[in-house]
Amino acid sequence: MADTAIRTRTQKPAPAKGRGRKVGRLPRAAVHHPWWFALPAIAVFAAFFLVPNLLNFYYPFTNWSSYHPDIAFTGLDNFKTIADDGSLLRAIRTTLVYALLAAVFQNGFGLLLALLLEADSRFNRFFRAVFFLPVLISALATGYVFQALLNQDGAVNGLLGTNIPWLGSTTWTLVLVTVIHGWKWMGLSMLIYLAGLKGIPGEMLEAAKCDGAGPWRTFWSVRWPMLAPALTFNVTTALIGSMNTFDIVQATTGGGPAASTEVFNIYMFRIFGQGLYAQASAMSLVLFLVVVAVAIPLVIGLRRREQLL
Amino acid sequence: MKRRALPALAFICAAALSATACSDPTAGDSGSSSDSGGKQTKVDPTARLDGVKLTMWTAQNTVNAPKQVIDAFEKATGAKVEAQAIPDPYEQNVPTKLASGDKPDLMFWQPSISTLPFIQPKQNLLTLDGEEWESKLGDTEKSLGMIDGKRYAAIVTSPSMLGVYYNKDVFKKAGLTEKDFPKSYDELLALGSTITDKTDAAGFYEAGGDKWPLQWQTQVQLTDLDKQWWADLNQNKEKWTDPVVVDAIKKYKEKLLDAGLAQKNYKTGTFTGQADSLWKGESGMVLNVTSFQSQLQAKYSTAEIDKKIGWFPIANSSATGMYSPDQTNGVVAFKTGDEKRQNAARQFMAFWLGPDYPDYIKAMKIPSVQPSVPTPDGLPQASKDQVAALPTAIGVFQAKAIVAPDTHLYLADMLYGKKSPQQVAQAIQDQFAQVAKAQGASGF
Repeated sequence: MADTAIRTRTQKPAPAKGRGRKVGRLPRAAVHHPWWFALPAIAVFAAFFLVPNLLNFYYPFTNWSSYHPDIAFTGLDNFKTIADDGSLLRAIRTTLVYALLAAVFQNGFGLLLALLLEADSRFNRFFRAVFFLPVLISALATGYVFQALLNQDGAVNGLLGTNIPWLGSTTWTLVLVTVIHGWKWMGLSMLIYLAGLKGIPGEMLEAAKCDGAGPWRTFWSVRWPMLAPALTFNVTTALIGSMNTFDIVQATTGGGPAASTEVFNIYMFRIFGQGLYAQASAMSLVLFLVVVAVAIPLVIGLRRREQLL
Repeated sequence: MKRRALPALAFICAAALSATACSDPTAGDSGSSSDSGGKQTKVDPTARLDGVKLTMWTAQNTVNAPKQVIDAFEKATGAKVEAQAIPDPYEQNVPTKLASGDKPDLMFWQPSISTLPFIQPKQNLLTLDGEEWESKLGDTEKSLGMIDGKRYAAIVTSPSMLGVYYNKDVFKKAGLTEKDFPKSYDELLALGSTITDKTDAAGFYEAGGDKWPLQWQTQVQLTDLDKQWWADLNQNKEKWTDPVVVDAIKKYKEKLLDAGLAQKNYKTGTFTGQADSLWKGESGMVLNVTSFQSQLQAKYSTAEIDKKIGWFPIANSSATGMYSPDQTNGVVAFKTGDEKRQNAARQFMAFWLGPDYPDYIKAMKIPSVQPSVPTPDGLPQASKDQVAALPTAIGVFQAKAIVAPDTHLYLADMLYGKKSPQQVAQAIQDQFAQVAKAQGASGF
């Protein structure tokens, strides 16, 4: 998420009547936004984001379910249940593997596309738009389309003349689903990398050429380090965003085969469906903590790398 | 600004939290709602109800189910019934809506002891004991919709039947006739063997991809467990890890799947694939419930189906059918606190199962739940066979256990070699105990 600059009131407001306005000073009205302008946004933010997140620290410690109207405090029971039946560890492992692979594929495809479509020709501009289209398609729709294509009797097998159970392997289906995830979001990565590539000062590249660097050397020693800010953004959003994945997995495999693609959200969906709301909330809280645990070192590390390069 | 952001955020959090008051909105009602334990006033199915508005929730696959009876009821009584379709998954979205305080007057709901607890019947539903239509129901139908001896659901359509659909051409090729119809599960497996040996069709089509049909092969083998066993299971005195259950799962794995009686792609087979495979004669038999037949009825005519597809019932040690109640069978009425609407809802049910019933089943072309009202003509022979098998049919575990565990998910794990039959049974038991505990069932 891009940081929005918060204006500070350190500059002196311009003279009220506007007489003799100095050059470069903004009129008072532009600087002075009453704080209560933000109330509607705060209300929506609070209702749909803040409150659910705060309540997520309460419900996991209760016995809330669809079977009785009262909600009693039960301490760490829910966490004990999900730890005991192995689903906690499995969900963490599956989600982390998914996030890692999705980040790799999304960034890999995105970078490749950005390098291929870097020049500003009409051909390139057209294809940049084309490759961005999957980002705009609903994730659920994408999942269903690929599920039909990858069906054992589906189009892909038909085209290749094989009978491979694409969505029936407990080891490789997860990789395949992350490829689909990467395909869907690569347009976004591509755009960020394009912006990053454009931001590299031309003199640097000319200097490299003068020093006799070939295209690969230029990329590896000059362009790649200069892409660090773009990389930070892309890796962070890809990694953190894909931890929250649901639609694509639900539509292609539904968590199968044999729970090998059961990421956090799929597990929560299933447990919620059994009416065990508190247990699903407990898993949700674990997801929150995992994301925080991953995000903080990741962002710090990448930012530091940015400053070094 | 930075100095003020943090305290401001804290203030907003506190204000928002206090506004939610962290409690279930339906919790307060439980005390105030009157317990209709005493005799309810008798309802006249066609009494005038001008000005009364009722809402009825349906699932996406039952959107059109009440249309005929709603039109007829509105005409006969002047009441207005509004049908609202709740998006799928129905059994998840309805409890969520109820938890937020939203309540209809009527709705479709699976009338089984494993699914009624989701909507807290004691709290939320009207009891329907002693209603006029209750005595008119068939024996099997009468046993549905009851919790702890009280009736909470009206049975409006015939429960789904679990049985074997077979391709007549494949049977002819394998030299099998009606006299070879199995009288036990072992004989059914033998039939599968014959088909696999004598034809190039597979004995069975197993849907490992969609998973839910996987449960039936094991369920058929559990029909010898008596009422006492199920009662003990529901009190945690018996467990799903009982040798009978484990052996059933083992037999499915070893004598059917490993023996090659299922189609080659059984790990990724689908529900729609089942229908296509059986129709084309690529599989000889499919063990599934009536919704399988609905797929065929949607594509082919009754005459075509009668020519190609047959049906026979099967249980572990007899040729008895099994019934599987689902959401389309039951209608429940809610305690809304408004006496007039509550009686109107009961009147609606009395009308549906009373004066309107013959017209209803004729319009919907479905079997009758009342022995006194004959099933209409025009149904495939398979449906007629199912109607004949219903009175003696045995219930699937969803109708006998207080919780319906996701057996199909664990069986799918077994298909991929991730669980042994013993582990499958253990997983079923774990989930069963967990949800039973959440329900507050005694013994857990």
